[in-house]
Amino acid sequence: MTAFMTHPIAKSEYVRLLLRWVIGGLFIYMGLNKALHPVEFLKLVRQYEMVQQPWLLNSLAGVLPWFEVFCGALLVAGVWRRGAACVAVLMLVPFTIIVARRALAIHAAQGTPFCDIKFDCGCGAGEVVICHKLLENSLLILGALWLTLQPDRLLTLKRSVATPSPVTAV
Amino acid sequence: MKLLPETLLVAGVGIALGFAANALSPRGLELKRNYFPSGATPVPISPQVISPAHPATNAPAGEGSPVAESPVFARLRGKGLQPGTLAEIQQLHADPRFALGAIVFLDDRDHEYAEGHVPGAYQFFHYRAQEFLPTVLPVLQAAEKIVVYCGGGTCEDSEFAALMLTEIGVPREKLIIYVGGMKEWKANQLPLELGERNSGRLAPAAK
Repeated sequence: MTAFMTHPIAKSEYVRLLLRWVIGGLFIYMGLNKALHPVEFLKLVRQYEMVQQPWLLNSLAGVLPWFEVFCGALLVAGVWRRGAACVAVLMLVPFTIIVARRALAIHAAQGTPFCDIKFDCGCGAGEVVICHKLLENSLLILGALWLTLQPDRLLTLKRSVATPSPVTAV
Repeated sequence: MKLLPETLLVAGVGIALGFAANALSPRGLELKRNYFPSGATPVPISPQVISPAHPATNAPAGEGSPVAESPVFARLRGKGLQPGTLAEIQQLHADPRFALGAIVFLDDRDHEYAEGHVPGAYQFFHYRAQEFLPTVLPVLQAAEKIVVYCGGGTCEDSEFAALMLTEIGVPREKLIIYVGGMKEWKANQLPLELGERNSGRLAPAAK
């Protein structure tokens, strides 16, 4: 008898499954966009002036997109799901701060209303309206945090394949 | 598995896979290479718009044309590089020495090259220099003047390409940076060559 039949799945688990697929899918899409155009991403990363050493800048631009794809794939597949969600939070928080700081710098330099500011933040989706991007990232952070803190059972490869659940063992 | 070890595992495996994927990808970056030589500073956050109200003394004022007194020209001169205005570049393009290979044009753009470049210009996308150097280097050695350009506007790639060429032995005095780049060339509706070099497919630039 399956776990689904003996322990009804709460609605929140379906929401978390959907969330995993949405966040994972976005990470895969954005990551691939950057991984397939590493030079464009390298130029954008450089504009943030975070690192000066060429090897560090190149490593960031060359490795980060694939890392993003990997985390996205883990979330979609439900493998090491909480670890992948936690890593997603750890990537999204500093990135959102950096993008917000840059937008504030543009706002201060040009006097452009904050929500009218539009630039290619290096997110993998081209030019974006900064307010939309910050809202999107905040929602992604909250979603990824929820996935980090809550266990779920739906379509997680690890639970369904690697570790038999206590219920199925009975 | 507990959250912390699982997070560390994801991070460790992900980073290792990221390095491997970058190394295996044909478009991967060379981690030790300096793609932005000579400590050139990145373009300011707000791209500087050079006022068309102050046209260059010796160049027709096209849309977004940089002027000879602009900070970009001063920066290039500060690095020992010679910037060129549209009028100077047009003159070099029309010079009979261009057809003889004594004046060479280099286009530092990727796939945009095939969509339209200065007629007769060689592609030299310096981010993948090893791909283009075997063709371009013998040509550069024979040239008296080398004009390097990129997209124009805030594009700095022509500057990096020129600095990179000096690092591999191309004399600095041969190099001229066409600051206005393709943006200015197109804005002045000058002819474009489509596809490969000397394809014979010419198109007037759309404004």
